[in-house]
Amino acid sequence: MARPPIANQIRTLRFLAGEMTQAELGQRIGMTRQTVAAIEAGKYSPTLEAAFRIAHVFGKPIDEVFQWTGESG
Amino acid sequence: MAYREKLAWLTLGAMLIAYAVYFTWLALAMRQGEPTLLGILLPFGLAAGGQGILVAGAGAVLAASARRERQDRADERDRAIARRGATAAYYVLLAGMILVGVVMPFGEPAWRIVNAALLAIVVAEAGRLLLIISSYRRGWHG
Repeated sequence: MARPPIANQIRTLRFLAGEMTQAELGQRIGMTRQTVAAIEAGKYSPTLEAAFRIAHVFGKPIDEVFQWTGESG
Repeated sequence: MAYREKLAWLTLGAMLIAYAVYFTWLALAMRQGEPTLLGILLPFGLAAGGQGILVAGAGAVLAASARRERQDRADERDRAIARRGATAAYYVLLAGMILVGVVMPFGEPAWRIVNAALLAIVVAEAGRLLLIISSYRRGWHG
């Protein structure tokens, strides 16, 4: 399946948050470790609510966690 | 591998084994004349029972080996993948039921209608499980 034109910085942000594990992040946003891994790898696009929850965990605005990489407009 | 993906593999494997045996038996039985409804009841019961025992037994082993994962509630990705599988299976089942409920009664014997319905269910369920597995494997973007 083609990947959506959305990049994310979750791996970096987990590292900066003291090597937070995928399981720990998953627990904080109500998701399984596998789903966090899928989001991180670009295999699953989370809902807007989940994206905000992830950004909230890292204390960042959503556009610092997820970036649109497709054509603009 | 996600627990729900493992469960889908297990259910698919058990179903394919059970009904491959059943439909092979049916194909062989058809060579010796038309089977009766009562005649297909025992092989079908054995296939369904065998599938049930296989899923229950292997499912218990799987649940014991992945105790923590099993306790995880389905999240939005699990639900999205399950919905995708069910939606696709619905159309397969709909086509199958139109065939067996609307077309076949005009000219086919009862045993053939029953087995066509069973085949439609197996195909729909196999399609659902394959879609679930591929969504976990290759990704799904809702």
